[in-house]
Parts: sequence; structure tokens; C-alpha cells
Amino acid sequence: SFHEYKLNFKKSKEMCLSYIQDAMLQKQWKRAAEFLTFYIESLEKNFSAECTSPSEVIWRIGTEILCHHSHSSMKEFNSFTEHVKTLGVRRYLKVCLEHTFHLLCNGLIDEAYQNLSLAESWRFGEQTVIQRKEMKLIKAYRGLLDYYSWSKQKNILLEHGQDGFEDLSVEQEMHSCFRKAAVNLEEIIKIPGVWDLFVKCYVDLLEFYGDHNEARQVLSEYAYNSKFPANPNAHVYLYQFLKRHGESKKSLISVLKILHDIVPSHELMIDFNIMLQKSKKRKRRRLGLEVIFAVLDYAGWKENVKAWSCLARQVKQIVISEKHLDWIKQEWNSRKDWWPAFHFSRYLAKKNWQENESLSYEKALVAGILLGKDCKYFKYVSHQGCKAQVKRLRVLKKFVNKHNPVYLRISG
Amino acid sequence: MEFPSALFPSYFGAGPPREEGGPAPAAGWGEHGQVLEAGPGRRQAETTFVSRCGGAGESWEPADAAAVPLLPPNAGCWVPAVTPQDILYHGVLRRKLQAGKSEAALDFTKQLRHFFVDHPEDAFGSLGRLLHQNFYLGNSKLRVSVHPEVTTLLPTPSLAAAIPSFCPFSSLQRRARDCTIRMTALREEISRLEARRGCPRKHLVPRLRWFSHLSRDWLFEVPLGLLADCVHEDLLLQWGSLLFDDSPTGGALAWLPPKDVGARMGRLVYPGGQAMNHLYFQDVVLEELPRPRGCPAQFELNGRIRQVAAARVDGEDFVGVRSDYHCGVWRVPGRTGATPTPLQVIRTSVPASCLTVSPHLSGELAVCTQSGAVYLWNVETGLQRLRHDPQTMFFRDHSPWRWSDFTAHPRVLSCADRTGLQCLDTRAPERCQFDLFKVGEEAGCQQGERVVLPMYLGRAYPSQHLVSTQFSVYVLDERLPLVPMLKWAHMMKAPPLFAHLVPGSPGRSHKVLLGTSHTQELLLLQYQGEKRGSRGGSRSACQLAGPLQKLHSIASCLQHLPAQLPHQHHLLQQRLSAPAAGLAAALQEDGPRESLTVFQLSEAGDVIINEEEEEDTGTPAAPQEAECPQEPCASPQPSPAAALRYRRWVTALCKGCGEPPQRTRPPSFSQKRLFTRKELEEPSAPSALHEQARQRLRQAMRDGGRIRHWDSPPPDLPQPLEPAAGPDPLSTRLTAAWCEDWERWWEERTRFNVAQRQRALRERRRRQKRAHGRRSLSASFTSS
Repeated sequence: SFHEYKLNFKKSKEMCLSYIQDAMLQKQWKRAAEFLTFYIESLEKNFSAECTSPSEVIWRIGTEILCHHSHSSMKEFNSFTEHVKTLGVRRYLKVCLEHTFHLLCNGLIDEAYQNLSLAESWRFGEQTVIQRKEMKLIKAYRGLLDYYSWSKQKNILLEHGQDGFEDLSVEQEMHSCFRKAAVNLEEIIKIPGVWDLFVKCYVDLLEFYGDHNEARQVLSEYAYNSKFPANPNAHVYLYQFLKRHGESKKSLISVLKILHDIVPSHELMIDFNIMLQKSKKRKRRRLGLEVIFAVLDYAGWKENVKAWSCLARQVKQIVISEKHLDWIKQEWNSRKDWWPAFHFSRYLAKKNWQENESLSYEKALVAGILLGKDCKYFKYVSHQGCKAQVKRLRVLKKFVNKHNPVYLRISG
Repeated sequence: MEFPSALFPSYFGAGPPREEGGPAPAAGWGEHGQVLEAGPGRRQAETTFVSRCGGAGESWEPADAAAVPLLPPNAGCWVPAVTPQDILYHGVLRRKLQAGKSEAALDFTKQLRHFFVDHPEDAFGSLGRLLHQNFYLGNSKLRVSVHPEVTTLLPTPSLAAAIPSFCPFSSLQRRARDCTIRMTALREEISRLEARRGCPRKHLVPRLRWFSHLSRDWLFEVPLGLLADCVHEDLLLQWGSLLFDDSPTGGALAWLPPKDVGARMGRLVYPGGQAMNHLYFQDVVLEELPRPRGCPAQFELNGRIRQVAAARVDGEDFVGVRSDYHCGVWRVPGRTGATPTPLQVIRTSVPASCLTVSPHLSGELAVCTQSGAVYLWNVETGLQRLRHDPQTMFFRDHSPWRWSDFTAHPRVLSCADRTGLQCLDTRAPERCQFDLFKVGEEAGCQQGERVVLPMYLGRAYPSQHLVSTQFSVYVLDERLPLVPMLKWAHMMKAPPLFAHLVPGSPGRSHKVLLGTSHTQELLLLQYQGEKRGSRGGSRSACQLAGPLQKLHSIASCLQHLPAQLPHQHHLLQQRLSAPAAGLAAALQEDGPRESLTVFQLSEAGDVIINEEEEEDTGTPAAPQEAECPQEPCASPQPSPAAALRYRRWVTALCKGCGEPPQRTRPPSFSQKRLFTRKELEEPSAPSALHEQARQRLRQAMRDGGRIRHWDSPPPDLPQPLEPAAGPDPLSTRLTAAWCEDWERWWEERTRFNVAQRQRALRERRRRQKRAHGRRSLSASFTSS
């Protein structure tokens, strides 16, 4: 009966698919390709009303096979994709986008651009939400490619400009590229998302044409709009922009303060700490200490010499001036139950000493002040230092011994 | 600790997931995801791009034809797990397959019947004992008599029972007839029913029905309604765990890598024993084919081990072990060969669902229970409850499963349920928290997608986490919560319950192994996050590298095991297709080449290994050439070492476990059924014959001989026709032919034959003569 036939067909289709998957998972691309030729029959007899049609499966599997098959070429890949594009209307834009990505990864930028322009002109009835999103991405990527050709022409012009030679046509073309790029890039970065690449390019365009206000607004919108995810890069871009344009320290600090609040372990926090340490204001120096302590809370910074030297320097300063010991005390209070095991164990002392002497020096200073001269880390390092007759460590030992009462005040 | 200078573009939406219908069958393939500028290429000015997925990775090849057992089979007979056939109503399975979707019908009556037959003592114990004295199944009646006040058991040699019913005194007579059942008839009907077992047109006998109606209230030890409720509840639980069992989440296998960089001996921690309640620490030498060394350190625990987690802090390994109601922690000192020491055990009133060990601070663990509580457990300071919330975090989900893991900050823990992950600061758990992952539009999830296993990827990169759902895996960064750095549909048939991270050395990809329980799938995927761009030296964003690869499952051993008898083969098949229970891996570096040993544990307690080798393909950037030359390998044969392992393993399995003893015993009959009591009665004094028999029996036992000849010697066998002296003619003929004097034999034979024939002829004549004489005699009789 027809029903039975349908059922059998479905079963063999599924079986065929599982064979293909099995072959692909074992990297037997040739075998998978052979099975795929059988699977294509399922296109003709598509009885199912499932949401994933066989055409999508064929597209995905075919692409993957062509990416890894030893005898595939770009030409074959292109013709396969063109065929697939005609198969499914719903997936047209997605396939175009993926095709573009493939071309871009293989360095075929002009073909990719053509492909994007073609996709952009595609119309088919009412667009679904996903299709609208894909269309915007297509436009954005085209804008990106426009930006690259703009910057290429810009470089040509700049080089030639030095020679005192001006080419009007190149300049005109560059401006038209700018317009095309700016329109599309501007559109996508208004939608909530992660658009690092697009924002960077758009800001570069604006900066080149001197529209700093617009650039600044774009960047602060990207960083501070609550509909966007809390992307640390958005804050970094804003900070870099402000720094480039010589903004006041106050605004730089306020940007970094927000970054510190959302990502205390960001690598810019070292710069932030240095900036704050230099400051004359007490409040900022206080914040600096907080920032560097917070950075060293994270496992990723555990063996970072720079961070430890920042902390060591600031702690030393405070101890020498004997003012604001309460700052250290406050920071230490929430850490004293786990920092000794996390940073200052005997095992780590040994390891740091073997691997990185200057790290163990900085850490020993901090340990000596925070935990006193009897702490395991300090004892081990100073002992080893005496044995190896490192002068720096002898000075360190003297310093810690001299300021031992500080430890009592901090811990008390 | 640098954040990538640019991330791959992606949309960010909020709210519940919009995509319906689950992922497409091949959703993980054929996508580049997004692209990103990779810095200038070789030719200046040209920009090159990298894609999020589909980049080139290392190529790994299995070193052997199939997985190979590492350890001898787990001792003790393995009880096969419950299958759908055991608890579903017969016939539903097939229909279900055809109809696609239908509610599972649990075969409740079958379970109850099994209970009555298998545990009669628990089902009817006390009443059975009570009635035993009076139970005589002669031609008697189940008589019920009812008095207004007292119900009595009739002391007649008949079965009597009382049903407390309140019927009027006057109609006692009629009632008594209604309440009387002839037991012999009932028994006959039952045995007839038994004979018709399996017959589709089975009708319930009214008498039987009446009997069960009458006895329902008093016969059962446990009230029937209560018992039925319990059985039904258990059936539902069993069915639920058949559909998806989350208790082994995380896996019960851990690998403690060698202490020194160049060393080859690590330690494997795994459960074993009949009830999987023994914890073993076994030294394993990593060689071409890894092998165990020495005897394992062994601990007996009082519960089935569900999860074994391990982490190394300050050169010491801490091993956390979770069973349903107990969690324990062991310390394995840094010295090689040092014995592990148990440190502490906690008991929970609700089953624990998670135990993870801190990679930052020694002796710290995170524990979750199914009541929704999350604890930070410090061996020195004890337990600290961080959260207690029976409700799920982001939307309502009925699962009581909770998980917790550590993050880049030693004081911040991630807490997960099926709806997502949150991070909370243990110093102020109520105030300081943020959402790390949400099943929703933020991560582009599907409808119905649920978190199955989160894992902290700290060993590869300090701030990254892996979250796997039944459809996809996500890599998340704590510094940019909610937006996955990487998303990829894994296309596995079952949700991955086990994951293992193998961090790659600088410049190499990190490997993640994903494993499922019931389907035994094992996938290897690679990702990169530390490749530095050529310009500026900033980190590039997280990328998936290389095609996905399947590794050999435990069941792949089967085809390479030595040939077995069918029933043994079936047993082996059952054993090897037991659900997986854990996953671990060890990376070996031989100069530029690496090899990966993957350990798998099955629920039967067997530890199986997979050896994977990195292929020599020159640059990893040439996937086209990376294709294996021997591609359509039909069925590669295992190496001799592996074949030896297989043989030993099977021999040990057959010897140690073999078949359950009940089956090998010949069927036995109760002698009580064969003989009457009188026949079985012993005579008061043993007769002389008895004495003699006993003596012979003793003698035979002493000699180890047979007792057959205490019977009279067997009757004489019929004499062979041929003279018994020589062997049969065929053998002599063949012998003669062999000695090349066949002709002589033939002559002799013919001569012998002539003589024989003459003798036979003579005999016949004599008989004829005699018969002739007799016949004539009889003829004379008849004629007269």
C-alpha cells in the first residue's frame, strides 16, 4: 500500500542518513559522498511535512564533505552551492551567507562581494524574522567589504599623496565606498548584538572624516546601552578612542571604573591601577589598591609578574608612608582566609622560585607584609635567596623585618 | 588572561527561545557560523578571514581497530539493567514505534504478579502462616461464615476464612452460599488458565474473579491499594530513569595524571564490585597499550558510586566521590605510590546530584542536592550553604537536578539547574550574583532545550565554561556572560552526561570529549582560543577546529572478541552494551606528536580504553591532505597485543562471572509432589538391605568410584554375531590395503565367506528339516 511504501521509504531514508553521519564522523568523506548521492533521492519523494526538509540536510552534509574531501575544488563547491540555493526558498539567505563565509575564508573577496550583492537583491514574498536578520547581516558584511576596499584606496591615496600626485577617480571611488559602507554598518550596529568588527570599522570611517562626536556617540551607545550584552570590548574601544583623542584623565578613569565593575579581571586593569597609583587624589589611590587586589583574585593572574609588582609597589608605598594602612587591612579582611592557601603556599613558593625568580620576589614582599615574616612563602623565598646570595632579596628581608609591626596592625 | 580584541558578530535578543522543533538532523555540519578578520595575510593589504566553525584542526586517528579492555572484567555477576520491555505493556512498544507519539503504558499487573510470585512471604506471609494449619485442599469449600459480632475460623479440616462484612443475620444462609467457593474447581480452573497462557482470547474465570473479590481485603500482608500505589510509583520512577537518568552525570571515572612532566605512570580512580560500591585507585602505565601496574588501593563504601571527580591543587590530587546519600573526599599525596587517604564524609538526607572539586584551593568542594541546595564544602571549616531554592532559576522546570562548579575566582561558584547557570560569590551569596547562561534567546537556544552538564574549562582557559544541552554545546566566558563564545550542535542521539577536557599545550587546540550514557557515543571536538593574531598579539576569539570525530564505543570490542557459543555471545553483548558510566582521558606527548588515551567505564564496571594518535600531516592547515589514505578500511584487525587482551578478558569474564548458577543446575522437582507422605516415611529400623546399601555407598565414596555395581551385575550383553576376536571387516580390509596385501585379504575373505556360506546353508537346511517336521505335525492337528 502507499502508506507502507511511505513508511519504508522513510525508514530507508533515515538509515541512509545515519550511514552518512557515521562515515563523516569517521572522516571517511568518500564513503559519505557516495551515500549522499543516494540520499538525494529523498528530494524527489519528500512526503514529510517536517520543518527540516531534506534540502537543508543535503546542503549541510554536502558542504561539509566538500570542505574535507581530497578531490574537491572551489569550482565544485560553488556549483554545489548554486544548486542548493535553488532548492529551498526558506534557506536561501542562509546558504548565501555561508557561501560568502567560505569564499572569504579562502581569500576570494571579490567573489564574496558579488555573492553578497546578489543575495541582497533577492526578494521572495514576506520575510520571516530570521530572514530579516540574515538580510541585515548580508548588508553588514557587504558594508564590511566596502570598508576594506575603502581602506585599500585610502592607503593608495595616502602613499600617492606623499608623492604629490592626486587621482580624482580613486578619491571618488573611495568616497563612494565610504558611503556604501557607512550606511550598512550604521544600520546593523543599532540592533542589539555583538558587533565588534562592524563598530570598529564604522568608527574608523567616522574618525577619518573627522566626525568625532558621532564616533563617540556610537561607541558610548555600544558600551552603555542596556539592551546590548555587557561586552568588555565595547568599553575597551571607548577607552581607546578617548585616549587617542587626548581626553581628560577623569573621563578615562570613569570608563575604566565601569569596566572594572563588570570585568574586574580585564587586562586593562593593570593600566588602570598604574594610572590611579600616580594620581594625587586619595580616593583614586584607594581605588587603585582595590583594583589590583581584585585582579589578583582571579586564577588567570596568579603568576603574572606585572600584576604582582603593581601590588607590591603600592603596598610598599603605603607601608613606608605608614598612612592608610587601614586600606590594606580592609582589602585583606575579605581575603585572609583564602589568599594564603591560594597564593602563598609552600608548594607555590618552591614552584615560583624555580620558574620565575622575580615573581617570587614580588610575591614574597607582599606575603611578608600581609602575613608577617613567619609566613611560609616569605620564609622559603628569603631562605633560598640567602643561599643564592641574591642582593635584592636581602634588601627585601631587611624591609620586611623592619616593618613587621605593620603585619600585626593589619591582622589585628 | 587577555580578552579577545574582537568577537565574532552575533545578534543578542532577550526572552524565551523562539526556535521550535529541535535541531535539524545534520545541524552541526556545513556552517562557518561567522567570520572575523584575522589580520593581514602574506600579501599586504589583503585581509584574511577566519571562521567560527569549520576551521582546520589536528587530525586524530584511532590507533587500534576497536576499544581494548584495560582491566580484567569487574568481578561479581552483573545484573542487567531494566529494559523498556520489562516494564512496558506488551505490544505497546511496536505500536508506539508506528504511531510515533503515544503515552507509554506501564505493565503494572505484570509487576504485581512478579511481586506475588517472587516474594510470597512478603505478600501473604502472616495470613499464610495463620491458615497453614487448616489448609487442606481436599474437596472442600472456602466457606465463609459471618456472625454479627465475632467472625470465626471453622476448625474443620476445611479452609475457612472470615470476611468482615455486615450482612443481616436473617439472610445468612443465602450469603453463605454466595461467599462459598469450591477450591478444587478453582484450582482446576487456574491450572486450565495456566495451560492457555499466551492465548489472546483469554477470559477471566468468574470464579477466580469472585475469589479475588472475596479475598482482597484480608489476604494481603500490605493493603493492596497501598502496595499498588508503591509499585506504580516505582514503575514510574523506573520508566523515568529509562527515559533519562541523570544520576551518573559527571561520570564515575577520574584520571590522575603523572606528577612529573615526563613520567608515564598515572592513576585511575574508578568504582567496581558487584554493587559498584568499591572505590579503586589503580596505577596505570601509559605505553603503546596502557596497562595496570600492581594492585589497586581499595575502599569499600556503603552506596553505589555515582560520580568521581578529581582536581589537582598544589601538586596533590583531591578526589571527590558521590553516592546517593554520601559524599566523600580522598587526598592522594604527590609522592608516587603513596596510598590515598580518606579525609571526610558527609551524609545528605536528599540524594546529592553534584560534587565538584576546587582546582584552586585544597580540600574545597561544591555539593548540590536534589532539594535545590548548594553547599561549599571545606574539609577544614565544614559546610556552608550558599543557596536553597527548590524552584529553578529562570523558568519553571520540574527537574530537581542541580549542579555547581568553580570559576576563575576561587570564591565564586557557578550554580546550574536545567534552565541555566548563575555565578554567586560565596562571601555574599544573596547579593553578589550574575547570570552566566540562560536557556533562551540570549544564547539562541531551541524550545525545550535544557542544560545537561556544565563544566569549568579552567585548565584550558581560566574564565571559560562548557555548557552542554541535549542539542548543543556552548563555550561561555565569564567576562561576557549570556553570549556564547561558541555554539555548536553536537548531533548526539542522547544527552551528553560526561565531558572531559584535555587542554592542549600552547599553539595547539584544546580537546573536549563528550560521552553519553545509554548510547555509548563518544565524540572528540577541538577548539582554539589562544591563537594569537599576527598583528598586535591580541587573542583571537574562540573557534571550533577541525571536523568532529567519533571514537570507538565500549561495544565496539564485541566484534573482535574470540568467537563464543551463542548464549555466551549474547551474554557478552549484553555486558558490553551496558550504559557508559564515566569518561576520562590522558594525553601523552612524544616530541611533536601526541597521543590520547581515552578511558571509558561501563555500568557493569568494566574499564575500556581507546587509543588515539595524532596523524602526521605536516601542517594542520591542510585538511585536504589530511584525509586518511586507507579510507574505506573494511574492518581493520586489532593488533596482536590487543587481541591478547581480548582473549584474556573473555576468559576472565567466563571464569569469574560465567553464567548464573541457577541456570546450570539441572531442573529439580520437589519430592513432595512425587511421593506421598507415607512413601517418604522412614522405616523405624533399617533393614539388612539398607545396611548393605549404605555400606556400599560409603565404600564407593571412599574409593571415589561408582555405586552402580551395588545392583546385581548387568545382564549379559547380546553376543556379537561375528567372532569377537578380530576387528570389524572394514578395518581389517583397510589395514590390509594399507599394508599392501589386500589381495591376500580378499582371498582369505572369500574363502572365509565360502566357509561361512556353507555353514549357513547347512544350518538352513537343518532348520528347514526341523520346520518341515513341525509343520506336518501341526497340519495333522488342524486337519483332525
